[in-house]
Amino acid sequence: MNQPASHAPAVTAKPIKRISRQERVSVFWTLLLIVIAFIVLFPVLWVGSFMFRPDSAMFARPTEWLFEPTLVHFRYVIDNGFIGYLGTSFALASISTLLVIVLGTPAAYAFARFKLRFRDDLFLFVLATRMAPPICMVIPFYMIFSNMGLIDTYSGLTLAYLTFNLSFYIWVMSSFCKDLPVALEEVAILEGYNRFEVFLRVVLPLLRSAIVATGMLCFIFAWNEFMFAFMLGGQQVKTLPVAVPELITTQGVRWGPMAIVGTLSLVPVMLAVFLLQKHIVRGLTMGAVKG
Amino acid sequence: MKPLENRWYPYALLAPAFLVLVVVSLVPFLFAMYLSFHQVNFGRIGDFAGWSNYSRLLDNERTWNSLWVAVKFILIAFPLQFILGLGGALLLNKRVWGRSVILPLLFIPTMMAPIVVGLVWKVMFAGSWGLLSYNIVERFGLLPGTSVFSSPDYALIALALVDVWQWTPFMMLAFFAGLQALPVSPYRAAAVDGATPMQMFFRLTLPLMAPLMVVIGMLRFIDAFKVFDTIYTLTAGGPGTSTEVPSLFAYRMSFEQWRIGESAAFAVLVWIGFFILCSLFYHVAKKKLNAF
Amino acid sequence: MTMHKAKSKAMLAGLIATATAFCYSAALQAQQWSYAEAAKPYAGTTIRVLDEITPLQETMRRLVPEFVEETGIQVEYELLSHGDVINRGQADLFSGRGHYDAIMLHGLQLGPLLAARVLQPIDGLKTNSTLTNPDLGLDDLIEPANESLVNHGGSQYGFLTWNYNQIYWARADLLNHPDEKAAFEARYGYPLAPAETMQQMRDIAEFFTRKSGEALAGETLRNDFYGIVLEGIPGGTTFTTVWEVFMNNWGGGVFDANGKPQLDAPENIAAVQFWADLWKFAPPGQAEYSLIDVPTVMGNGIAAQSIAFSDFVLGVDRPDGGTYAGQFVYGGIPANADLLDARSAGGEPSLMALSSHSKKPEATYLFMQWMVDKQTQAKLLEMGGGGVPIRRSSFDLDVMREAERQSLYKAMAASLEHVQAKPKTPNFFDIDNIMGPLVQQVGIGRLSAEDALKEGQRQVSSLCSSCLLTD
Repeated sequence: MNQPASHAPAVTAKPIKRISRQERVSVFWTLLLIVIAFIVLFPVLWVGSFMFRPDSAMFARPTEWLFEPTLVHFRYVIDNGFIGYLGTSFALASISTLLVIVLGTPAAYAFARFKLRFRDDLFLFVLATRMAPPICMVIPFYMIFSNMGLIDTYSGLTLAYLTFNLSFYIWVMSSFCKDLPVALEEVAILEGYNRFEVFLRVVLPLLRSAIVATGMLCFIFAWNEFMFAFMLGGQQVKTLPVAVPELITTQGVRWGPMAIVGTLSLVPVMLAVFLLQKHIVRGLTMGAVKG
Repeated sequence: MKPLENRWYPYALLAPAFLVLVVVSLVPFLFAMYLSFHQVNFGRIGDFAGWSNYSRLLDNERTWNSLWVAVKFILIAFPLQFILGLGGALLLNKRVWGRSVILPLLFIPTMMAPIVVGLVWKVMFAGSWGLLSYNIVERFGLLPGTSVFSSPDYALIALALVDVWQWTPFMMLAFFAGLQALPVSPYRAAAVDGATPMQMFFRLTLPLMAPLMVVIGMLRFIDAFKVFDTIYTLTAGGPGTSTEVPSLFAYRMSFEQWRIGESAAFAVLVWIGFFILCSLFYHVAKKKLNAF
Repeated sequence: MTMHKAKSKAMLAGLIATATAFCYSAALQAQQWSYAEAAKPYAGTTIRVLDEITPLQETMRRLVPEFVEETGIQVEYELLSHGDVINRGQADLFSGRGHYDAIMLHGLQLGPLLAARVLQPIDGLKTNSTLTNPDLGLDDLIEPANESLVNHGGSQYGFLTWNYNQIYWARADLLNHPDEKAAFEARYGYPLAPAETMQQMRDIAEFFTRKSGEALAGETLRNDFYGIVLEGIPGGTTFTTVWEVFMNNWGGGVFDANGKPQLDAPENIAAVQFWADLWKFAPPGQAEYSLIDVPTVMGNGIAAQSIAFSDFVLGVDRPDGGTYAGQFVYGGIPANADLLDARSAGGEPSLMALSSHSKKPEATYLFMQWMVDKQTQAKLLEMGGGGVPIRRSSFDLDVMREAERQSLYKAMAASLEHVQAKPKTPNFFDIDNIMGPLVQQVGIGRLSAEDALKEGQRQVSSLCSSCLLTD
């Protein structure tokens, strides 16, 4: 908003800044979002407070809104080696996500760009690999893995995770690949690059954001997965979600350590999303919407 | 453009992924099919059993119960998370400040491990000692004599709402990105023509967003069927079997009773059902909504 | 004459000498058996053992290094929670993977596992005098839990290692309060005391169920209070509690003497009806409570009585266990006043079983013996500050005679007199899966006891007409 030019002497009253209508509307939407965020996150915040809450203050009736913080739960988590599981989770999720990206990106691009024979059938096949309920597949996997000595190994679990993440990645990525500007590729070909070079030098950079976005989601799914990690893992390969039931003991649920492990599990992912979100937003954008 | 090279090139791109999918998904599924046609006694593969696993499965009323529970669950959860996701995306698309902070925060429910989600809602609504059970439900006498997850009428609805809480952020993020990508020119032209925001939404936004909505929608639809952790933690399928979703039913069949033949048959039947549904929808979406 | 005497003397001396030598060498032999000696051929091998995680096993985990040091056998002792030890343990056995040499099994698992023939009997190992500890003192193991658990078809499959049992649990401060005592006696005509019969338990439950605002033990209640809390979730041990604590005590039970299901017998209907009537005096969320939630609810002071597993109680009623720790009194499972002959208590005797896929049965067998050995058990209870014993003699240990715990240990002993392992049926999990939701619905009032049990009988009979494991 422009201030009216003032040539009056200093005696004049201070000019009042007027908030533009647009800004007022922004404030409104922002406040609304904050309220929504608070309501949605209230349960998480409450349980998060259990990290510092003594056991007696957790479920007291009437509710104890204020309490004296304690660090005893942190002691428990450290003493029982939960921090180590963070590393395993990270390693497993990273390896399987990288594999998914390497295998899935070319495939998604192929689906989106080319007329393939049986394209629809192949594409539906990709989706079909997620249609059987994973729970029913765990024991067959266990039986196969047991015979091949893959139980409680990183390679075994990575293979198992490819089952659901690869199909997700290809399915979503091909949507983003649809809006790639073909013209750029054609120019490159005319300039004499072969197909693979075109893919590596022209297509991939354009897809960078989409890869980050979809890869991030695959990472989250692998990070949080429980059933396969539990049955096909073991003492050597134990992820964070598998460690959570260990906190359900005969002395009841150890809510304090549970809150800590839950937060531990959440923080790395949140950090990554926060840092990469620009990519994600732009990435998810490309090509999903026609026009 | 060299036509010859064009022919094998896309297949070469597809090959590694397909090889992996065949090994990692198809082979175990074929093994499961094999199991479904045999007697599997406590993990030991026995004689050929023909259709007996399938008939025993289909004769079991718990099978049908679980499928019906899934239908009810999806009917409540899916539209809600779809609409709320879209609404949230529209909201985020407005001029807001601090979106880069609010977005990750709002995404938290989807980022949490499902088992933790179940436990968080247990703390909220467990009978007698849950925070909101005590402060809201009991204080205002909303459910006399019972609690949210013990109520035969409301337990499934409550579980569906937990699913909505958990997955709406995912829909919201996807739709928000879609909205961000919308081209501006059609909207300018519509504004010039005097279109109202309502008209712009229904005639421009929705059709343009349709392909994305189809892709995300199909994914969520398939995944909603697989819900497990939250149900197991909060109700274990009760009261009675009113919230025994297919995954819980299959869990008990596989891990407690070790009826591997029937569990494999269940996997095959569910797969067939989804394949038919998704194929139909795929072709419809391709023609009518311009997806794929 | 002298020669005779001398000869006799010599003979006598010789006899004495021989006798002494005999006794001495016999004593030497008895002394000579030790785990270290017996383990010599197996020193250096590694065995993998899977066990359940409760405070008892956490203490055992601290003792295991002593075995390793004594014998040179490396032991990877892994602990998992209740559901997980069943899942992973059964997967390992059924699939033939054989990663574990010994796995802790609850009695209820034995039906399916024996049917699948994945357990190795220890009969052969028992006859091996080099491997068997002559001082093991197996007749000291608590009965009838041990007998009913470890034997089947003429073979033995391990030793009673964990003796989970259920006990009656009540708030002593409420039961001892003079106002409450007076009011109770005025209303019911007999003195208020920890329930010894089911009918008393019901009266006490009714008496103590009060709304917010009413008085309890001289104070005004700020929340609703309940007379009893039991398991109610369709799963867990809800049904087995109904079976062992109620149905059996009413003269019923899942199977008749011939192993045929008799779920809709009138005795069972009466028992389930009695159990369901208790829900009137229980917290509204009981349909969500598992065997883990029940002690938590008691520990939070929401109910006056309960029936719970004694090892869980140990976790709640301890010095830093919360507001109500130390305010509890315990007893054995109440009897049915109308049928005092049919005494049954709930429990889950469990054993360490030898996997049929194990390549190191001898080393594993040594470990199995060591676990139940008198000395190990004494140390276990000492280090753990008490616990659930498997040996009768354990009740005489100093640590088990602590004043504050007397009520609890007496209750355990009373309960254990009537605890038997579950009948071995391969269909155990199927039956539990059928009956759990059905009885729960009786509890929440959606089904009558008769309808639920008739339906249960119909479904179970279609599974098996003679359900017990034969052999």
